[in-house]
Amino acid sequence: MNIDTKIFCIIPSYNEQDRIKKTILDVKKIIKNIVVIDDGSSDKIYERAKETGVTVLRHVINRGQGAALQTGNKFAYDNGAEIAVHFDADGQFLANEIPRLLKPLLRNECDISLGSRFIEGASKMPWTKKYILFPIARLVNYVLLGVKLTDPQSGFRALNRKAMENIVIEQDGSAHCSEILYKANINKLKIKEAPMTVIYNEYGQSLFKGKGRKKGGIQIIKDLLLAKIMQ
Amino acid sequence: MFQQIIALLVIAFFLARIFRQRKNNQVSRTEFLFWLVFWFLAAMIIVFIKKIDILVAGLGFSAAGIDVILYLTVAALFYMIFRLRIKLEKIDREITKIVREIAIKK
Repeated sequence: MNIDTKIFCIIPSYNEQDRIKKTILDVKKIIKNIVVIDDGSSDKIYERAKETGVTVLRHVINRGQGAALQTGNKFAYDNGAEIAVHFDADGQFLANEIPRLLKPLLRNECDISLGSRFIEGASKMPWTKKYILFPIARLVNYVLLGVKLTDPQSGFRALNRKAMENIVIEQDGSAHCSEILYKANINKLKIKEAPMTVIYNEYGQSLFKGKGRKKGGIQIIKDLLLAKIMQ
Repeated sequence: MFQQIIALLVIAFFLARIFRQRKNNQVSRTEFLFWLVFWFLAAMIIVFIKKIDILVAGLGFSAAGIDVILYLTVAALFYMIFRLRIKLEKIDREITKIVREIAIKK
């Protein structure tokens, strides 16, 4: 794999009309192929994203971030993508950190590159997340899924074609983060973590709620338990 | 005795209802059979409630037969809710697939 590899950036978005344009333009400096998924938003996100000239797919009803990512993954895979980068629409991630995320994939060192807020100059984050939410998340992921990573809930990730093929996201909500890692684990896909920065805003996810469908820590645990039972 | 007659009348009402619904093709054959067996068993429990009292006492339960049946019913309801939850989750996933197909094909 070299630098000319066909890379797609997938941006799931829900009611982010004020931030989407800036996010797209920032990413566009790094990646040409951008796919925005308007997850049944009630605002003008579809029109705003379209104005930038990128591909915009629209969910007719809100299905959740995991569902939107899988729509993007499927579109990218069907269009011959070698790598899919998952990027949030809400301005929490930095586009200039994408090359660092891609590096291990381009060098064929792994199948999934995962941004981590806890290695090399960790992001400044609310103490509730740092000392309560994330330790719980790490424990739940380890106990339920056998996944041991510093930042299992990270949404900043890149997958190669093999990973896209093996990981079909079925968790419509935020539990997709754990699901991806679990499926990577059972398919013996190699994961590497890369340092990342997260700029926290008021729209973040808490223990009980988040923006959009099936969000919040408790909901994630419920979804994961249900998925485990349904296996 | 009076309570048993009332309960049997209630069951008779529901039985008549399910027969009528079947006649009007409002319920499937399987559903009809399920409710028929269900109400028949309920009627049997009421008719033989004294014998069930003796039976559950023999099994070591301190409560009366009707109480034990109530506990079992609650457990059955929990199970049914759980099955329903799983079914809903599956329908939810199917809806997502349809929404995805529409998004990609448009």
